[in-house]
Amino acid sequence: MSTDDTALWWARHRAAGPQRVPPASAHPTGMIRLVEPDASAVWLLPELPDNARPDVLDELGLPGVAVDQPNDTARVLAACLRCCWTEPSGPVWPAVPAPFDHVIGVFRGITGSRDERALHAAAMGAVRRLAGAGWVLFDEDTRVVRLGPRVASWSAAELSTLRELWRSLPAPPAGAA
Amino acid sequence: MSTVFDSALAELNERHRDEVLAAFAALEHGREPVPEAQLLALRDATVRRDLQRLLYRLGRTLVRAGSTHWTSGFRDDVTERLAAEGATAQSRMDRAVLVLVLVHSVAIPRSQGLVSGDSWTSAHPTSVDELTRYTQLPRGEIRPSLQRLRAAGLVQIAPPRGRSAVVDGPAYLPGPALHRLTKAARERLEHELILAAAPDSPLAAAIRARRPAPAPAPPPKAPAGQAEPAAPADETSTPERNEDT
Repeated sequence: MSTDDTALWWARHRAAGPQRVPPASAHPTGMIRLVEPDASAVWLLPELPDNARPDVLDELGLPGVAVDQPNDTARVLAACLRCCWTEPSGPVWPAVPAPFDHVIGVFRGITGSRDERALHAAAMGAVRRLAGAGWVLFDEDTRVVRLGPRVASWSAAELSTLRELWRSLPAPPAGAA
Repeated sequence: MSTVFDSALAELNERHRDEVLAAFAALEHGREPVPEAQLLALRDATVRRDLQRLLYRLGRTLVRAGSTHWTSGFRDDVTERLAAEGATAQSRMDRAVLVLVLVHSVAIPRSQGLVSGDSWTSAHPTSVDELTRYTQLPRGEIRPSLQRLRAAGLVQIAPPRGRSAVVDGPAYLPGPALHRLTKAARERLEHELILAAAPDSPLAAAIRARRPAPAPAPPPKAPAGQAEPAAPADETSTPERNEDT
């Protein structure tokens, strides 16, 4: 792949998030290929060296991208992880789809008492934000959530923290799919 | 591991390599432009060249913000390719709302002489009231658009200024991501706005005349070279051209 093609693939990711392509099409340099469970498509995700990752911002004391409702957004991401990552000892991608109601159930469990309508509105706002950024895939018609390709960018250290978090979260209401 | 990074930084010693990677992370992931005093790879022109070479390979380029800060943006040739294939996260609606904020916060104050320079950032707030009052866009869609634009750093909420916040409701400013526009991109945006807002003006005619004929030649670099020889910000765009070959 020419250097210009590589530059373009990295730029496409920068402009529009993780790119979903037909399985045999592109092999850009330095990008991870995440195969969809049914092998119908591949997501392309940049692979950053350890000291060029977003957590470097903390070390430098620089602000990262601002997120609306950061606490609820993080809680809903945690709830999605709890519902979709059914085997936390294994890899986080591709995990399994889960009904959004299960996610709301876990979210309710960790947010404490809140008016039901406010709870649903907060969860819906958060899951849309997360879907917009590629952290989850959310089908609004079927109300099914999956983990998004961006979760594959978590490092081994981050995943082990997340496994601990996973264990501390309440289980989804019914047996997840 | 990541071969793009390895090959771009192969000739550097370990310390400089770390400096370049830290600066890369600061510019690419950070919300605001970074003061050059904070990082060696921004301060030191030699190491900055290495940073620029790395960014270039990933479709990016160094962009100067003010006289002491740096950020990163898309290479102009890459922007053109992405625009041609429609690779953008923003819908038409979101782009329309962004343009309204830019018109109110930058273009109008600039035409009144209140804003100087060619930056698309501004301290002149645009109230939501102002956005909805005259617009032809569906009103119910403006707020969700503003939310998405805010998530992308393209607009930000203006800090409340006493009574005006109470009277007009929330107000918006262009967001920090607009610092990422290269000089050519800033100019293109200005020209497009002039062409859209006053297509019959002599200024619009001049812009059209300076543009290359639409058919064969893609790069719109000609007007910049013709009109303004060696503006200071151009120092960032010269080295990257050499890297390509």
